Amino acid sequence: MTIVTGKAEARRRLQSGRPGVLRQIWEHRADYAYVLPAIAVMLIVIAYPIYYTIELSFFKTPPGLQLRDKTFIGLDNYTTILTSEVFWRVTWNTLIWTLGSTLIAFVLGFATALALHREFVGRGVLRAILIIPWVISAVAASYIWKWIYHSDFGIIGAVLVGLGLADRPPNFIDSVNTVLPSLIVVNIWREFPFAMIMMMAGLQTVPEQLLRAAQVDGASAWQRFWHVTFPHLRNVSTVTILLLAVANFNSFIIPWIMTGGGPSNASHIWITHIYELAFGRQRWGVASAYSVLLFLTLMTLGYFYVRALSGNERQEGSA
Amino acid sequence: MSTTAETAPLALGRRRMRVDGWRWTGRIFLAFMLLYTAVPMIWMLITSIKSGFAAMQFPPQWWPDEPTLASYEKLLDPQNSVGQDFLRFFWNSLFVSTVTTILSVIVAVPAAYAFSRFSFPGRNFLFFAVLLRNMFPAVIFLVPLFILMRLLGLMNTHGSLILTYLTFGLPLAIWLLKGFYDNIPVQLEQAARIDGATRFQAFILIVMPLSTPGIIATAIYSFIGAWNEYIYAYTFLTKNDQLTLPVGIQRFFSENTTDFPGLMAASFMMSVPVVVLFLVLQRYFVRALTEGAVKH
Repeated sequence: MTIVTGKAEARRRLQSGRPGVLRQIWEHRADYAYVLPAIAVMLIVIAYPIYYTIELSFFKTPPGLQLRDKTFIGLDNYTTILTSEVFWRVTWNTLIWTLGSTLIAFVLGFATALALHREFVGRGVLRAILIIPWVISAVAASYIWKWIYHSDFGIIGAVLVGLGLADRPPNFIDSVNTVLPSLIVVNIWREFPFAMIMMMAGLQTVPEQLLRAAQVDGASAWQRFWHVTFPHLRNVSTVTILLLAVANFNSFIIPWIMTGGGPSNASHIWITHIYELAFGRQRWGVASAYSVLLFLTLMTLGYFYVRALSGNERQEGSA
Repeated sequence: MSTTAETAPLALGRRRMRVDGWRWTGRIFLAFMLLYTAVPMIWMLITSIKSGFAAMQFPPQWWPDEPTLASYEKLLDPQNSVGQDFLRFFWNSLFVSTVTTILSVIVAVPAAYAFSRFSFPGRNFLFFAVLLRNMFPAVIFLVPLFILMRLLGLMNTHGSLILTYLTFGLPLAIWLLKGFYDNIPVQLEQAARIDGATRFQAFILIVMPLSTPGIIATAIYSFIGAWNEYIYAYTFLTKNDQLTLPVGIQRFFSENTTDFPGLMAASFMMSVPVVVLFLVLQRYFVRALTEGAVKH
């Protein structure tokens, strides 16, 4: 709403011969005082690091952060990364991790929200329990699941053996093939409640009369969902999926604590790999170049993110 | 005529059956999700009241033969070194999270208000710049911030963490609060202005009280974020007496890898404050998401 009027105003101003940006800024100088603290903090902690990362990515850096001794090497860091085999392995892992976690967490969260939409006894309690994993620390979650997956004393292994489905407890996180799916299960455990809250909030905006009208007209439960509920939730869904995707793409704690990227890089994703390059092997230049690549990927995602967010505003403005 | 009379109850019956089918699917699904969610937490609690010996058995003791609170006593006892460390980490986490929360409310409230009410040049750009912060992972900022903190002499201080946490709490805080301010009619303020209040007074006396739920939601969000943060704390703090809980627990248990009851007890106690806080105030949080995120 406000954005739309802002744009319209700007257009009007442009047409009526532009009174000068500087004068506008001067006239609104008091308004900036409100935003200034937020912007200042952002500048120190965001703009400077971004600049510095880009700069470092063109340099070869000695270990130990003696950054005065860095030497300019152009794009060498980038070629090193793109030609290494680990890079493609890690990229593939990141893709599976991000897509798998995001989609499954969203579907589970959405389904839970739908199932919880109807009033029933104990609904509030159930909702509260389901939200808890989202609130507790990822470090705690990692340890809890590490214990559950434990190859000798883990509860899942014991249940599988008890039911006769396995001869001995399987190695969930010590095996190259199962480690990534196992970590995704943990990640979804922590994340589906977020999708659930968002979609529950979204469901409240679906007009009740419309659903009732559809029911009177003989629409089945599925038809009501598909033709009435779902279209109303398109914007919330987009925002939720994007937020989840970004969070997953950026996640670090679960793989780092549970496996440290192992065994043999099978659970390394971009972020953990960059961290290891920087703080483990002290290859700051390469790590920075990696970060810049990450940054570019995120900017692409960010474009859709902002478009989805402003899309919401636009629609509200036209309504 | 007679055909419609015949088919009507039939169709009704089929519809009811189908509705029931959906309801049962929903119930079974919810039961499955409840299991998925609760079993790990219950297993954490059960393990935390076992002895170290009882935890390391196969097949596991589903309920400990001799439940014991020894792990909790050890962690909460200021006399021994483990307890001393744990209580210190706990206090550090509490301090950092509380200061972060207070500061982020102080910074986010005016910013969100300005983004909602004023139209100054560059407003949209700044707003999206703030939101974009959400896009970038901690790791991108880690190396330069590490250097920046060394430059500012903030290494190994809680100041470094508070400053950093402030920035990643702010975007969502501002976004949520802006949604709240958008919903408060400007007329209320205008009425106050006509009655002689300054813009600032109108803001403090009219807008602030109306946006309390939003502020509470923002505060919860900042607190939980700071309480659970790991990667910066892991990088910026090296001295044992400065560590926050997530890092402290990780450091401690990378040395005592087999003390799973202790680990589970520590995980449980680390979770209690944020879970309680969230459950008590979740009403506000869900409402803030509804008003801030969904409608806007």
